[in-house]
Amino acid sequence: MDGGWLALTGLFAGSSIRLAMPMLYGALGELVSERAGVLNLSIEGMMLTGAFAGAMGSLATGQPLLGLVIAVAAVLPIALLQAWLSVTLHANQIVTGIGINILVLGGTTFAYRELLGNRSRVQIPGLDSWQPAGLADLPLIGPALFQQNALVYVALGAALAIALVLRYTALGLAIHAAGTEPTALDKSGGSVRRIRYGAVVFAGVMSALGGAFLSLGDIHTFTEGMTNGAGYLALVGVIFGNWRTGRTVLACLFFGAATALQFQLPALGVPAPTALLIMLPYVMALLAVAGLVGRQSPPPALTQAYLP
Amino acid sequence: MPEAGEALLEIEHVGKRFAALAALDDVSLSVAAGEIHGLLGENGAGKSTLCNIVFGVHQADAGAMRLGGLPYLPTGPADALRCGVAMVHQHFSLVPDLSVVDNLLLGQARGLLRRRAFAAKVVRLSEEFGLAVRPEARVHDLSVGERQRVEIVKCLMRRPRLLVLDEPTAVLLPAEIDGLLQVCDRVAASGCGIVLVTHKLAEIRRTAHRVTVLRFGRVVAQSSAPSVEIDRLVRAMVDRDISAAVRPTPVPHDAISATSHSPNALAAQASEVVLRVTRLGSRDADGVRRLDGVDFQVRRGEIVGIAGVEGNGQSELVAVLSGMSESDHGGFEVGGETMTNRPPKVLTAAGVGVVPEDRHREGCVPAMSLAHNLALGRLASYRKRFGLVDRAALMADARRRMQEFDIRAGHAESPFASLSGGNQQKAVLARELTLPGLRLLVAAQPTRGLDVGAVEAIYTHIRAAARAGVAVLLSSSEFDELLAVADRLLVMYRGRVMGECTAGTADRARIGAWMAGHAA
Amino acid sequence: MTAVASLRLAFAGRPALLLPIGSVVVALLCGLGLIVAVGVPLQDAIAAFADGAWGSAYSVGASLNRAVALALVGLGFIVAHRANLTNVGGEGQIAIGGMASTALCLYGGAATLPGPLAWIVPLGAATLAGGAWSAIAGVLKVRVGTNEVISTLLLSFIAVWMLYGSVQSTSLLRQPMTNSATLPESLEIPANTQVPALIDGLDMPLHSGAAVLLALAIIVTVLLQRSLFGLRLRAVGLNPMAARRAGMPIATTIVLAMFIAGAFAGLAGGFMLQGEQFALKARFPSGYGLDGLVVGLLARGSVKGVLASALLFGFLRSGGISMELSANVPSAIVLIIQGLVVLLLAGSAWWLERAVRH
Repeated sequence: MDGGWLALTGLFAGSSIRLAMPMLYGALGELVSERAGVLNLSIEGMMLTGAFAGAMGSLATGQPLLGLVIAVAAVLPIALLQAWLSVTLHANQIVTGIGINILVLGGTTFAYRELLGNRSRVQIPGLDSWQPAGLADLPLIGPALFQQNALVYVALGAALAIALVLRYTALGLAIHAAGTEPTALDKSGGSVRRIRYGAVVFAGVMSALGGAFLSLGDIHTFTEGMTNGAGYLALVGVIFGNWRTGRTVLACLFFGAATALQFQLPALGVPAPTALLIMLPYVMALLAVAGLVGRQSPPPALTQAYLP
Repeated sequence: MPEAGEALLEIEHVGKRFAALAALDDVSLSVAAGEIHGLLGENGAGKSTLCNIVFGVHQADAGAMRLGGLPYLPTGPADALRCGVAMVHQHFSLVPDLSVVDNLLLGQARGLLRRRAFAAKVVRLSEEFGLAVRPEARVHDLSVGERQRVEIVKCLMRRPRLLVLDEPTAVLLPAEIDGLLQVCDRVAASGCGIVLVTHKLAEIRRTAHRVTVLRFGRVVAQSSAPSVEIDRLVRAMVDRDISAAVRPTPVPHDAISATSHSPNALAAQASEVVLRVTRLGSRDADGVRRLDGVDFQVRRGEIVGIAGVEGNGQSELVAVLSGMSESDHGGFEVGGETMTNRPPKVLTAAGVGVVPEDRHREGCVPAMSLAHNLALGRLASYRKRFGLVDRAALMADARRRMQEFDIRAGHAESPFASLSGGNQQKAVLARELTLPGLRLLVAAQPTRGLDVGAVEAIYTHIRAAARAGVAVLLSSSEFDELLAVADRLLVMYRGRVMGECTAGTADRARIGAWMAGHAA
Repeated sequence: MTAVASLRLAFAGRPALLLPIGSVVVALLCGLGLIVAVGVPLQDAIAAFADGAWGSAYSVGASLNRAVALALVGLGFIVAHRANLTNVGGEGQIAIGGMASTALCLYGGAATLPGPLAWIVPLGAATLAGGAWSAIAGVLKVRVGTNEVISTLLLSFIAVWMLYGSVQSTSLLRQPMTNSATLPESLEIPANTQVPALIDGLDMPLHSGAAVLLALAIIVTVLLQRSLFGLRLRAVGLNPMAARRAGMPIATTIVLAMFIAGAFAGLAGGFMLQGEQFALKARFPSGYGLDGLVVGLLARGSVKGVLASALLFGFLRSGGISMELSANVPSAIVLIIQGLVVLLLAGSAWWLERAVRH
């Protein structure tokens, strides 16, 4: 009996991590972007770009790794567009984010139909799992928990790197200044523009990886609009994580767990209130922004265009 | 590095326009290595613009600059810093939630931050120049004076050739100013050139080697012996009638007639108290105490002036009296009714009119029309059926005000933002003075940035209001204007009233002592 | 704020027609270019589009119905936007409206009400429900300072999933399950709760919502330009500190503005349910909230702009579907055009203000 429960727990943990990944990638990218002062609602669109370009790239070349590279390359113009609109043209950051999401949804759907006709659910070469030595052999929980594909480990590594960079490097200091008091950065000889552009591009690359995870790492196919709100959930993760790296990772894992429950509970014979479980992250984030889960401390210069 | 005495910075015929406004016109001056050069002028004279050009924030439209003999055309602060020019800004550019060390590292460090080693370097440098700073403290915990020291250290760390200080004395006490000037002496002695920008000549007369006076964007006087020629320089700065040429006429102050012993003042002694402030206290958003037990009264028909170095609670006092800020102890009454922490609507209904320090922030809605701005605060009185607004009545009232107060605009529907600064201020004043049942007028810095004609008009209206029985509370950093208009003066220091005197018996030395915090 | 910056604002407040029209034209041209690029003959595509958009009385009616819903969302958007509040939760508010309407029509006894009340009361419920949902965001903004973009977005997701959940469960709004293949939707609403057609007899599904919309458009115009509330919205949106000093009821104004935005969207949902679909399905809002948002942005504060944009996107949608069916052009092209319009507007709005400055 205990063995059974442990195995289930392992399975649950493994699913949670897997399902949290796209959100986590998006959230990590958005975290850096918002810390630098740019609210990036286009995470959803950039994720979808990555999912699509990665899938098409992998299909065309037969190499999932090349697909990843193509995913990142494809998102660069989108991220640069967002950066140009938000930082250089000082356009309303919310409107541009939504505009890009609409454009990408339309663009990827259109392109997919044109390239592959009505053959939905085409199998594409995907990324295999990667097992760290020894850990995967742990009894019962090993296979489920540690047989994730490499992108999972990359994400966790990235989270650690981001936290360290923000705290201990000059770049991290500049990012913090760009989002808190951009004048200080400008008058110290730094470039607010360059930092914000870089942050948005970084968010784009991370989102693309998250999207590629969906199509290449997880499901090994592309469906229209497959991100289905994961990009917005990434935003939610940052809000719930109160703009700190560690907390954001936990928030995304929590959301992943909520999603995993949707599938796990019916398997256990428990009727799952699917809608409630799906709603849960949004409700939690709403409570957070309502100030009911402790004080929120967003970067003060968030969404404010810097006009020297 | 040029020899001490050689020209370090040369500014030749520099001009700068912002849209139609000529902020700078044919400005020339030079600063030598090791020299302290004072740049003087009133608010709006162009000093900040010139500094921003030197630091690369703006680019000049005309003329040229040379640094160390070579052409100098900075494209931005980073460029200026690379050339060895550093600037201590008026509005501090530090990141509040970071420590002093982090703020100093910003823009200077590369790669991994070595905080401890840097902190040691900071301490060494600060001792070299006599600037006490606490490396580990967070900037939002520091006092204004401490923050300024951090800014200066930040500049000195780069070992600049030229240091520009923009209005550094504006928020310092006389004692702190002495400390600052000593720092300047030491920095200059090390071979650095200094440009010291201020509108208070008296404070720097003993330190500056040379002085340039700006007025409406032009150079109106220069001197190599400022302590000797101080009178000429004061007149050049303050004389509102002088255009480009320097005319040695006595201080005109035409805008304010010298009726300091007005019959009103004497009669007011006997009249009722309109505003009674009792032990008023308040804190700012960071929890720092800004008002610390303020006590005073204003009577009907009396004009009371609040003087003091900016930053000692004057703004906070006006904010509390206008209902925009909360007080945490004590209170105030208007006409016998307690008004502490009541919302602005109640205060307006009780007859309190306010001309705020920054009219664009809370005195008007610049994008709306002049007529709407004139009716701001009493729009509900124009309500017709179904919640509609009686436009005809609103426009008619607006046109009447425009005539009564000589507000020059295209027509009543012109956007408020299209009016000149003087006319905007006249409009705000007009609105407050025509408040039905006006009992108290609170005006903060009412003539800041205005030209002669507008200043004259403002004070005419204020005096007329006082004659009509309105109690007037006037907060201003223009001490001479206060002396000429007010019946009584209060001096504020660190959130309380240090001393009080009638304008006629004002003793500058005593008032100066109060401003510095010495109880007489 | 300097005088120059305030001037910028003053000019931006008056919507320049060039900008929205220009953006639409450029976006449409890009769309046409895309059609050519994928090798579909332009005439075929345009013929299919025209047929779907206005080819028959039926299609005209359907397009107009769509335009009505979009215009309602857009009207609500511009009222809130006047106070500098951006409502992006249209989708969720439509969902809430649809749920309220369905509940009342099927189980709330609306069918027993006499005459027109049978369909008016559920519409009223939809309006109030949508407004209340959106007012939550207003209250959060006033009490806690929460950015209404974030809160309306979150509320929207929650509402959409509430809708999904409600049609999954027979104890909520799902029709009784006769077998395992019964679709997750509600029962069809009784005939007397359905919104009557605008013009009887014609084979046109255009419902009376069109008349209601026109009346509301006039009311909103008067509200924004001539009423005290309209002035307050403007002042609060442009300079909240000055509005506070002027004694305006800022909190009430903000909450009321958000309420109105949600109420209009809720009403749109009510009309969608009672005028077109007649049964609540899982994907009920079907993107109308997003379309309505784009309509609101495109309108740049003008009621006429809302009506014009709503017509444009209403017909664009129908035409797009037809193009996919008949001419092999994926209907996603409409999304591309919409996205381009939004981005062009956002990017060039700044340029307009800058050009005005010099």
